Amino acid sequence: MKFSEITENIKIAFEAMRVNKLRSLLASLGVVIGISFVILMGWVLSGLDQALEDTFNIIGTDMLYIDKWDWAGGRNWKKIRQRKDITYDQATEFCEKIKNAELAIPNAREFGYKIKYKNEEFQGMSFIGTRWEHSMTPAGSTYIGRHFTQFEDDIGSNVIVLGYKVHQALLNEGDPLGQYVKIEGRKFLVIGVIKKQGTMLFDFVDNQCFMPIKAFQSVFGRSGRSVSVAIKAGSINSLDEVRAESEGLMRQIRNIKPGEENDFSINETKAFESTVEVLRLSVWSVGIGMTVLSFLVGIIGIMNIMFVSVTERTKEIGIRKAVGAKKRTIWMQFIIEAAILSFIGAVIAFIGCSVFVYLIATLLPKFVPETAFLSPILPYELLLIASFVSIFVGMLAGLVPAVRAANLDPVEALRREN
Amino acid sequence: MINTEEKNNGNTIIEIEHIAKIYQMGTEFVHAIRDITLKIYKNDYLAIMGPSGSGKSTLMNIIGCLDTPTKGKYLFKDMDVSEMTDNDLASIRNKEIGFVFQTFNLLARSSSLKNVELPLIYAGISKSVRDEMAMKALENVGLSDRVNHKPNELSGGQRQRVAVARALVTEPSIILADEPTGNLDTKTGLEIMNLFNELWKAGNTIILVTHEEEVANFAKRIIKLRDGLIENDSINHQQ
Repeated sequence: MKFSEITENIKIAFEAMRVNKLRSLLASLGVVIGISFVILMGWVLSGLDQALEDTFNIIGTDMLYIDKWDWAGGRNWKKIRQRKDITYDQATEFCEKIKNAELAIPNAREFGYKIKYKNEEFQGMSFIGTRWEHSMTPAGSTYIGRHFTQFEDDIGSNVIVLGYKVHQALLNEGDPLGQYVKIEGRKFLVIGVIKKQGTMLFDFVDNQCFMPIKAFQSVFGRSGRSVSVAIKAGSINSLDEVRAESEGLMRQIRNIKPGEENDFSINETKAFESTVEVLRLSVWSVGIGMTVLSFLVGIIGIMNIMFVSVTERTKEIGIRKAVGAKKRTIWMQFIIEAAILSFIGAVIAFIGCSVFVYLIATLLPKFVPETAFLSPILPYELLLIASFVSIFVGMLAGLVPAVRAANLDPVEALRREN
Repeated sequence: MINTEEKNNGNTIIEIEHIAKIYQMGTEFVHAIRDITLKIYKNDYLAIMGPSGSGKSTLMNIIGCLDTPTKGKYLFKDMDVSEMTDNDLASIRNKEIGFVFQTFNLLARSSSLKNVELPLIYAGISKSVRDEMAMKALENVGLSDRVNHKPNELSGGQRQRVAVARALVTEPSIILADEPTGNLDTKTGLEIMNLFNELWKAGNTIILVTHEEEVANFAKRIIKLRDGLIENDSINHQQ
């Protein structure tokens, strides 16, 4: 195959499309829709991946959380509910005895209470009593003010670090630092605000407020809840070692006899991977079905228009054959035309989707904050995928018409009156 | 006899031996060509004549390698055309044969230059060389000022000149013209025939297919067909 033939064929294809603009556009509509599905699906999936990664970063990939509750254990819920609470003393003992971890801190949590500022109230957040070391975990970094100090922790000061959403709802005007909020009738000094961290998978983190665990106990009581332990392994490599030590230590503290099951869970970021996998799978299965269907329509559309094109240009094919075009040259001419037709559909789809995605990603989160994980820019890999898929689909659709064109008898073709 | 030998050695372009072409139409077999034996030499100026149904179009298609005979042997420059694949035939048409048709058969959306370049594209010649060759061919037919015109911007005579330029551009061994004046008025037809005369004088081999005496009389040798057979093959003495 000579290069001049290929470039000539590409020129012929564009010329043919220029002459029949509307017809070409309509023919590629199926591909436009099909490619749009591929692009949007890829976009949502990459958004999910990003959300997952963000979530990992909040939780910390080197973090373990010992808890009565299991993050991934939906099926065993009833069994888990019957576990004994992890008491504050057990959690504290654990934190003192663990050796391999970089740090370990108890976290006590309460839901369903209100927070008051002047005459305004906010509810739906959780209060977490923790240690000052919480500031050294990914979830503890502040964007206004500071976290509480070891001293404040030791004496159980009534100081509070607000979650991002709580701050937005209550104290968004003026400097929040130095203001007092009321919880269960007690005054707490606002000393900081945690960075916005929420993702679609993990949106409650922005509603968490942190205080020294002693202050927490004086408000909500010392017992009556299960305390969890956050463990920072230090690195992903030491995770296995720390996990093994934690399990043994906790079993010892909880007096679990050899052979008995753990009555606690060691949670880590992996638990979220399965949640995301389910989401990803559902996006795929819906998306793939629609995509296959629209590509089928796309192939039929292009094949049909290519048959029309071959019939209309029978005389032209005859002329080309008379002056020396070989079968495969004619074949290629129509394959290229179909591929370009389809590729143009992909380009239209990509431009359309870019605009759509930009609008959705910038406007929708204003109304539905959970969609903030969507990126306003399409990943460039999608452009490559869309190009290859569309060219492949076009060639597939052009195959039969092209073979028909290539096999035309030149004598018959020249006799045509068009 | 010696004369024929000499011609065989150097000057024979086409050698047709006892060819026949049989079409099947439904259950009936149509003998378009029954038995034709023919030699065409370099710088021949040949007219193939005959009423419709005499087989002249079929003979032209076979000579032009657009079609292959059912029986017999066709040697084009000692190459056996009857044994060739479609691709080989396309190659021969591209390099060795220049067609001129009654209805011009130009690509309607392409300029004169593009039309003339078409065979060169399929010969794989680069763009710059192509342009040069096509310009020269258009100059030879007196159309250097109509290079960028499309067929619908040209007169019938000019269109046929573009077609002649396209036929000439690859410097083929034969020029095959099928009723080249059929769609032209008398005056323009005459101009085209004069152009063929000049080409012949320049050394080209020309085969005309026509049913018009006046056109055939431009040729130096006239073959008359009837019912798929050669009725008469003679030197044209009228000139």
